[in-house]
Amino acid sequence: MATIAASQTKATIEQNAEPKVVVAAPSRREFLYYVWGASIVMLLGQASVVLIWFSLPRFKEGTFGGIFNFPVDKIPANNAAPFNEPAGRFWVTQYDESVAVMFGVCTHLGCLPKWVDQNNRLECPCHGSKYASSGRWLDGPAPRSLDRFPIVITFTDGSTATTSADGGSILLNGRTIASMRIDTGRRIKMPGLGLPEPTAG
Amino acid sequence: MSVLPFPSFLDDVKEKGFKRAALEGVNEIVERATAGMNVQDIREALRGEAASRKPNPRLQPHADGFWLHMRPSYFHKSVTGLYPEFRLGWLSTYFVFFLTITGIFLMVWYTPSPDVAYANMINIMSNVPFGQFMRDLHRLGAEAMVIIVFLHMLRTFFTGSYKKPRQFTWFTGVILLICTMFLSFSGYLLPWDQLALWAVTIGASMVEATPPEVVGTNVNLLLRGGPDIGANGLLRFYLLHVLAVPAILFIFTGVHYYKVIIHGHSLPPGEENIGEDTAKRVPLDKRVYFIPDILTSEIMWISVTTLILVILVTWFFHAPLEAHADSQVTPLGTTAPWYFLWIQGALKLGDKVLWGIVFPTVVIIFLMVMPYLDVTKSRRFADRRAAFSVAFVLLSLLVYLSYMGLPEFGVSTSADSEILHHMLMEPAHNHMGVLRPIPFDQLVPGVYTTRQFHTDDYDGDIGTALASFQDGIPPEQNDAILFFLQNTNHLPINALNFTAVPADAPELLEGLRRLDEELEANHAELPNAWGAIIITEPQNNLKRVDVLLVWDDVQIENGEPVLDENGEPVFILDENGQRQIRYNGQYMFINRNSQYFAAPGA
Repeated sequence: MATIAASQTKATIEQNAEPKVVVAAPSRREFLYYVWGASIVMLLGQASVVLIWFSLPRFKEGTFGGIFNFPVDKIPANNAAPFNEPAGRFWVTQYDESVAVMFGVCTHLGCLPKWVDQNNRLECPCHGSKYASSGRWLDGPAPRSLDRFPIVITFTDGSTATTSADGGSILLNGRTIASMRIDTGRRIKMPGLGLPEPTAG
Repeated sequence: MSVLPFPSFLDDVKEKGFKRAALEGVNEIVERATAGMNVQDIREALRGEAASRKPNPRLQPHADGFWLHMRPSYFHKSVTGLYPEFRLGWLSTYFVFFLTITGIFLMVWYTPSPDVAYANMINIMSNVPFGQFMRDLHRLGAEAMVIIVFLHMLRTFFTGSYKKPRQFTWFTGVILLICTMFLSFSGYLLPWDQLALWAVTIGASMVEATPPEVVGTNVNLLLRGGPDIGANGLLRFYLLHVLAVPAILFIFTGVHYYKVIIHGHSLPPGEENIGEDTAKRVPLDKRVYFIPDILTSEIMWISVTTLILVILVTWFFHAPLEAHADSQVTPLGTTAPWYFLWIQGALKLGDKVLWGIVFPTVVIIFLMVMPYLDVTKSRRFADRRAAFSVAFVLLSLLVYLSYMGLPEFGVSTSADSEILHHMLMEPAHNHMGVLRPIPFDQLVPGVYTTRQFHTDDYDGDIGTALASFQDGIPPEQNDAILFFLQNTNHLPINALNFTAVPADAPELLEGLRRLDEELEANHAELPNAWGAIIITEPQNNLKRVDVLLVWDDVQIENGEPVLDENGEPVFILDENGQRQIRYNGQYMFINRNSQYFAAPGA
């Protein structure tokens, strides 16, 4: 008796409860539609990837940059105006008895700073970033000092010096440069607003 | 019995006579072409009379025709005046079609290749009949569209028309604003001039700054088609400009206008109770029918707009073309188009990820979600003071950031560089160097100096003044200047023999006077300065114009002259206590056949 009463009460409660939306398990047809839809979405996703891959430019090795054998007599005097080589988009500079080669493109948004002799600094005409002759950041929105290209210097005494991994300039230490090779295929990003320490190479 | 084996026009002629049959034939063709209005209906509409037959034939083209099915058959009287809409939405739509048409004309003579794009521009401007006219219309139309679309957005904001139920209409409007600005910007690259190259280089470099690095690098490569803007980049921007972005623009123009029709044109805020939207329930006495009133009004608006554009490009505006793109020189004073100056200004503030990516993205997202955030019901001005205040603050910010985008802000360089730039600059944004537009025949070979204007000590005798000035230059200074001219600027000249500007070269004299004035204006940085204009003719019909500046060397710190307590510059002295001179110079070549003309209105 008790069990019957209990089941009757339960049935009453269920009847009085708010009508439930009955959702049946997906039928086979509905399920197949989902599978079909999902595969279409995946196909479109793949197509997008294909489109991006299709449009991305491909580079052959050595497309960007190259080796410059830089004429030694054009290396500027110590702390003088840096020398611009537009064909290689670089500046050769000598400061504090050390030599470095800077990538001539502003680290902000890709314009080309000019050397302004009167102000003794490189000035970018687009957003006003300023750099010292060493490429060190002075002013403006640029996020870091001018990037550098690695160089190999051969001195008249037969010794050679190579730019360190961090791109520090090469100290001359009284030696005379016999030849200088610039590799514009590899760009060394400066760490920030400062410059790495010069090394003897 | 039919004349021919099938019913034909000839039967009508036989039955009614030729005249009547022909008129009825014309009438029927007109009624079919207009999808419902015959000649009589059209004439009644044009005369401003009520339609004489029922059902109203003026509603038929909306029901049966393709073009007018997109337009409502009547508007609420309150939205047909100048206020509240100022016809800005209609004008924006018109500009879409106007620019498509003028753009297609330009495509006839344009190839997107760095080899020929610039030559194509020259050809369009100088050789194609109405070529310059078409290019000017396209360019001016593009700038006008940016203004009109922006004003349309402002209007929608101030009348509160973005509020429920029109939030999504506003959302699509923001997409259209972005399309408009990108179309205008991508069009900048196509002439392949200096402005093109550097504006787009900056734009692509901004994209490159997008974090994380793998995204920025690859999106940048996708845009440029290589490490630098070149043939691939030009082609890609061309395809974006003429295909991809217009496609998005057309689609969203459709969505945008569909939503406008679905919700109705919102009434002026004061005409509805707060929270109500009665735009779709237009009382009979408030209806203004599309045919003929709205139709003729719209045609009038676009006709006047076209007329203004034609007048402007005929007498007052020519689309500028700068020097050919040169990836090795960024010109001084490179600026974004005026509608992006606010971003250029923001970029000068510092971090490029923050100001070049995050900031514009936040602005766009804010605009898109604004109607979903501002859920206040009232559209009345008096209830929206807070929203208006925010808007005015943001507009002020926009104006100030745009000012910061100008080259005057933070990008000024040394006085000598600025003066040389003013004298010789290649055309940019409708400006060019002072000396460029001097007529070829007035560029008389010789050496002229600004000292010819300083003759007070010589009773105004220019000859004596110049001779005395020439004798006063110490020999070692003279040699140094000549060495500079010969070896740095490669000017084959052996002596500085100053002469007065000939009387028949008034424009050259005027240019020299401008040089003198600019030197005077910068006397703190360039004390005791003199300038010279040296004109030579290295080949027939080719003249070389050198500008030389000489001044006493002063101490400069952070780009500004150091001043002593009296406000005087501090001179740099040599070991004998003598002032030293500094000099700088630049030059240009002018061919008789490639003369520059001052831009109209400049």
